[in-house]
Amino acid sequence: MTEAMTHEGEHHSNTVHLLGREITVEGGVYTVVFGGLAVLTVIEVLSAEFLKGAIHDAPDAAAALQAIKAILLLGIAIIKSSLVIWFYMHLKSEKPLIAVVILLPLLIAGLSIMYLLAIPPSGYGL
Amino acid sequence: MAELTANQLNPAAHDDHGHMSEEEHNNNMKLGVWLYLASEIVIFSIMIVGYIIFRINNEEIVAQAHEELGVALVTANTFVLLASSFFMVMGLRAMQGGNRAGMLRWIGLTALGGIVFLGGQYIEYSELAHLGIVLGFDTASEWSTFGMRFYAPTFFHGAHVFVGVLWALEVMRRGAKGRYDNNPIGIEMFGLYWHFVDVVWIMLFTLIYLV
Repeated sequence: MTEAMTHEGEHHSNTVHLLGREITVEGGVYTVVFGGLAVLTVIEVLSAEFLKGAIHDAPDAAAALQAIKAILLLGIAIIKSSLVIWFYMHLKSEKPLIAVVILLPLLIAGLSIMYLLAIPPSGYGL
Repeated sequence: MAELTANQLNPAAHDDHGHMSEEEHNNNMKLGVWLYLASEIVIFSIMIVGYIIFRINNEEIVAQAHEELGVALVTANTFVLLASSFFMVMGLRAMQGGNRAGMLRWIGLTALGGIVFLGGQYIEYSELAHLGIVLGFDTASEWSTFGMRFYAPTFFHGAHVFVGVLWALEVMRRGAKGRYDNNPIGIEMFGLYWHFVDVVWIMLFTLIYLV
């Protein structure tokens, strides 16, 4: 109960410690997270557009640039998703069982995706 | 060895009549929603895999589709959905602080965000239909096969947003009657669903429109 109250109090505070600085803003950590999500989205879209242009201008390096683009953008998307799950869905303060419940299907889905992507377009020709 | 009852295992969780405590009840409700969301991950993963495999095998048609799609409208829509997630969590925060009017205002904004998102999706679908990118079963048509892979996850997601808007309105109706004054678990459950819909969109936006 005490833990729950501490957790609740933390979410009701308008003061957030970020990068060693104390920030006071209406909504506290939720507002800071929203700001982070907005900034990351802008970075994501600008990076995608920039790399699209670079791929168009340098066809010889297209494969490498496409790989960089995919890794960069997926990395940003994973960070954004984690912020929502950790702070807005309160996984941060949930029991470990909840993390297992959500991570297990993600792991299975990830492994399935990798397996399916390994199948050649023409199939195995069996 | 005699069987242990739930009361013996965790006496604090139940009263003298065997009823669960409010905390235990809330935890069970949340676990139920998390399990439901886990099943949703599997469904969305199948659709995403279908799109990725199509994309790998049809790079040219996907590149052409990216040119046609553009990112301005969908980026604006993404901001709307991210904002609605912020409104949602602020609604829960307001109710936890005993501010019922604030909760109703924030959840109302959440529902509005969902409606605006669906409006944006409708405009996008209309534009794509004019370009010939439709949901079709003509396997000889490249646009038709792309349409299947594109509309399946995005429309399924849109359907979740629609259900979320209805749920938000129901939360507001119940909240106005004081249903969550003592225990806001109903708002928290809706919040888990709404944030999950946001997370799915974050991934779809990146995979379908940007990568």
